[in-house]
Amino acid sequence: MEKRLLIIGGDGAGMTAASQAKRRDPKRVVRAFEKGPVTSYSA
Amino acid sequence: MVDDRDTLIARTPEQFRRKLDIEVQVEHEVIDIDVKSQRIAIRAHGIPNSWEPYDDLVIATGSAPIVPAWDGIAADGIFAVKTLLDGARIRHYIDAKKPRHAVVVGGGYIGLEMAENLRQVGLETTLIEQLPEVMASLDPDMGALVSQGLRELGVRLNLEQSVAGLEVSGGRIRAIHTDSGSLPCDLLILGLGVRPASELARHAGVALGVKDAIRVDPYLRTSIPSIWAVGDVAESTNLITGQPGYVALATVANKQGRIAGLNLSGASIPFAGVLGTAITRVGALEIARTGLNLTEAKAVQRDVVDMRIQSETKLGYFPDVAPITVKLVADRKSHQLLGGQIVGGSGSGKRIDTIAVAATARMTVHDLVDLDLAYAPPFSDVWDPVQVAARALSSKLMR
Repeated sequence: MEKRLLIIGGDGAGMTAASQAKRRDPKRVVRAFEKGPVTSYSA
Repeated sequence: MVDDRDTLIARTPEQFRRKLDIEVQVEHEVIDIDVKSQRIAIRAHGIPNSWEPYDDLVIATGSAPIVPAWDGIAADGIFAVKTLLDGARIRHYIDAKKPRHAVVVGGGYIGLEMAENLRQVGLETTLIEQLPEVMASLDPDMGALVSQGLRELGVRLNLEQSVAGLEVSGGRIRAIHTDSGSLPCDLLILGLGVRPASELARHAGVALGVKDAIRVDPYLRTSIPSIWAVGDVAESTNLITGQPGYVALATVANKQGRIAGLNLSGASIPFAGVLGTAITRVGALEIARTGLNLTEAKAVQRDVVDMRIQSETKLGYFPDVAPITVKLVADRKSHQLLGGQIVGGSGSGKRIDTIAVAATARMTVHDLVDLDLAYAPPFSDVWDPVQVAARALSSKLMR
């Protein structure tokens, strides 16, 4: 079974971790959960 | 202020899905971490709906604005500011309720930015700060320059004052009481800083450290296997002191995210640490800092020497030349550069990066004097202002 990476929080830190992990290991399932209405913004 | 909120959002969930095959679910709150079975509980749109298993888990829950427990704190017209969406809510409130007397509590980055914006939309604005000057991340002599810049924008400064209470009627804020009087207030902005949003982690038994930030090792692993923490919820090591600390800065958050992402995919890269390098602008005034200021250096019992100089951003015959003040702090014995602060006109602020690089490389003040920096009249004098300060400090150290 594929390895599952879960991320709590869809802002810069969490989404950067998600993107890096996925790039290095494309087979990995990566899912992020954000309690607010938007993800990663540039502020 | 940027007018269109959407222009600020770096990537949408659709882009993550399409370009990177990463599933992002917004309005999905994680309400529990079951570390034994390695799964998390999700509440979607307010309804608890599933458990999701993980092999690795990254906690990136960020920070929350500090909200004091004052009576009436939940009244209309009071906003604790941290994100983009807070700015939009405040703008909406101003348009709808037409407040006239704005009060900002707290003279840090957020307080300053809010005060400037409120003045820009025409509100009478008072900023209340407990300390003798705004911008506590600078030493008071440098903070005084920022205080002056705020006054020139028309912001009234009530320094060395603290809030004693709020006056609320009809569910709305009407006035604010301080230890030296009262002032009318129909819009109150709290700029009291942020705290790590670490409750979920604490509840799961993840060890917390400085200021209740999640404790992490240099690889950004937490105390629990397969759980990582990054960003505003996590600690970061101070590069100068080597001690764990807490800074909530986007630059640090993104770097930690990158390193955790690599490490949980098999790499073994330590996160070097932080200087707390930061920059902002108030009106035309650029403000920047890095490393230890005098207050922080003394707090860790460092025997330090400092130097403050005034110079200009470029040669004097350019119409847009501006004054710049640079302050450096160094160790008295080793002469190692420990930090710096800059306040000045256009072209001043990013010069902090030279100081940040020098401090990271553990250069002495004398090394900084000798650095081969770029010079041409439209950019700088032959001696860059940072090197003017380094020269003066170098002489002081060799006396």
